[in-house]
Amino acid sequence: MCDRVNIRHTKERCFALVLRASLLICAGTLIFLLGSIFVKGIGAISLQFLFMPAMEFGKSGGVFYQILGSMLMVLVAAALVVPLAIGTSLFQYAFNTRTSIGYLLEQSLYALNAIPSITYGIFGLIFFVNFLNTGISWFVGSMILAIMMLPTTTLSTYQAMVAIPKIYHENAAALGLSKSQIIWRVTLPQSFHGIVTGSLIGLARAIGETAPIMFIATAFSGVSVPKSLVEPVSTLPTHILELAQQSTDPQALQNAWGASLILVLLVSGFSLLALFARSRLTGRGQK
Amino acid sequence: MSRSLSPTWPNRIFGKLKGLQIYALISAALSLSIVLTIIVTLFVQSGPVLLAENSGLMSTSWNPDKGQFGVLPMLFGSVFVMIIAVSVAFPLGLLAAVYIAETRSSRLRRLIKFFLEMLVGIPSIVYGLIGVAHLNIWVADIFDLQSGRVILTAGILLGIMILPTFLTLTEDAISAIPTKFRENAKSLGLYRHEVFFSVILPQAKTGIAGAGLLALGRALGETMAVMLVIGSLDRLPSPLFNPLSSGQTITSKLGREVAESAFGSVHFSALVFMSLILVSITVILTITSRYLFRKTPENV
Repeated sequence: MCDRVNIRHTKERCFALVLRASLLICAGTLIFLLGSIFVKGIGAISLQFLFMPAMEFGKSGGVFYQILGSMLMVLVAAALVVPLAIGTSLFQYAFNTRTSIGYLLEQSLYALNAIPSITYGIFGLIFFVNFLNTGISWFVGSMILAIMMLPTTTLSTYQAMVAIPKIYHENAAALGLSKSQIIWRVTLPQSFHGIVTGSLIGLARAIGETAPIMFIATAFSGVSVPKSLVEPVSTLPTHILELAQQSTDPQALQNAWGASLILVLLVSGFSLLALFARSRLTGRGQK
Repeated sequence: MSRSLSPTWPNRIFGKLKGLQIYALISAALSLSIVLTIIVTLFVQSGPVLLAENSGLMSTSWNPDKGQFGVLPMLFGSVFVMIIAVSVAFPLGLLAAVYIAETRSSRLRRLIKFFLEMLVGIPSIVYGLIGVAHLNIWVADIFDLQSGRVILTAGILLGIMILPTFLTLTEDAISAIPTKFRENAKSLGLYRHEVFFSVILPQAKTGIAGAGLLALGRALGETMAVMLVIGSLDRLPSPLFNPLSSGQTITSKLGREVAESAFGSVHFSALVFMSLILVSITVILTITSRYLFRKTPENV
């Protein structure tokens, strides 16, 4: 009897020990990751780095046009995707009467979410650059990023619509509002936080993507502000890629760390905004 | 034919609809057609290599100049790297998730969750930079290799990348089990490991499996980080299960070669075909994992 308790007790101690150890390993790895990005990145960043164009193939100078190119591309992508996401979720929420179509739409969005990012790049290369003959263009990059953002934004908007308490609609209908009035007055304002959160999460993901845009939208050097829709831009992720490939050169590596830190800060900025939007904009009475 | 083109045709369909409804309908149709276009494009562009004679798709040699497009080395590389990544991430992630979920300190839990969500957002190219700058040098030093750009490095890096995703989803699955089960088990005098293995785990099983499949899908589709550290060698490693040789995954192959191959050639088509294989696997994994997630709450 005493022995069995002892065995159980020992097992318990081992279990606790293993759990603690694995948490420590995880935390250690993750702290190392964040730490090395910050420590190495801070060393490379200066005002000059932020506001100078890249020189000598990125080895000196800054990343001004890369930041500009990245922001331009994702913001245009967001502008493209938001109307589409609202329309699609509105269709699913208010107008679709057939379960089969709803199911198809939902599964398609999840499939879109599952497609690896490199495949979007190949699709863009085939469909836009070669089939529609646009050439390398930042606007094509924006469209591809918009397609990548579509599932996140749509699902977030749709879930916000579903979460609106039923009584809101019933009250509005009892007051004699027509269906389109209900949509304008109740559905859209009450699901606004979902639209904002969804597109911010989409933005945070899109700005860090390299694989979808590296064939179709970017050039490494000699690019400044684009003057038309069909010019390449330079972006932070593709810039880091080029610099990482010259990793034996300490100067290039340092600039890559600097660019990485800026990219991580931009991503975190969008994620924090999304958290903030979720807590502040959620409609009263449905938190 | 002439009837369907007559001016009354649009009115018959759109006549009764209001502006909002038309807008919603068009958006939904556009969303669906995007998905369809991607799938059709991939299939059509895979055509040339499937129709080409002696392309040797299921062989082990890749040599575009000779018209040999064996995808097996890449497929093997993808699976091998994935297995290494999984054996790094799953045990660690599962145990850490148990710790976080069973710790009843909600402040610690929220803090850890916050950090994990930050980490999920780190772009893969930044992981690639870490792999190039640190990990591949360490691997080279430890195993005394000339270059650390080997399958093992890619696997470990990928494992670190999918760890936050897997951890946070697994933690959700474990936390979703109602507290009353734990309390009942504890009041029967069970130790914590017994509570976990005989009460929590059987119930959280499907949720954890869903998290695993989702993480697998991520691992298979990851490009940038893998591409920078795997060494890009289009051959099967010899001996076959040697993690210390350079290799190639489907994604790293695509990342390296798509820009070099001529559009419309058999070479390009072979690359698109590999991408199609990849998409099929990841889509199936994701949809299965969604099915598992949906099953979880009903079982509890």
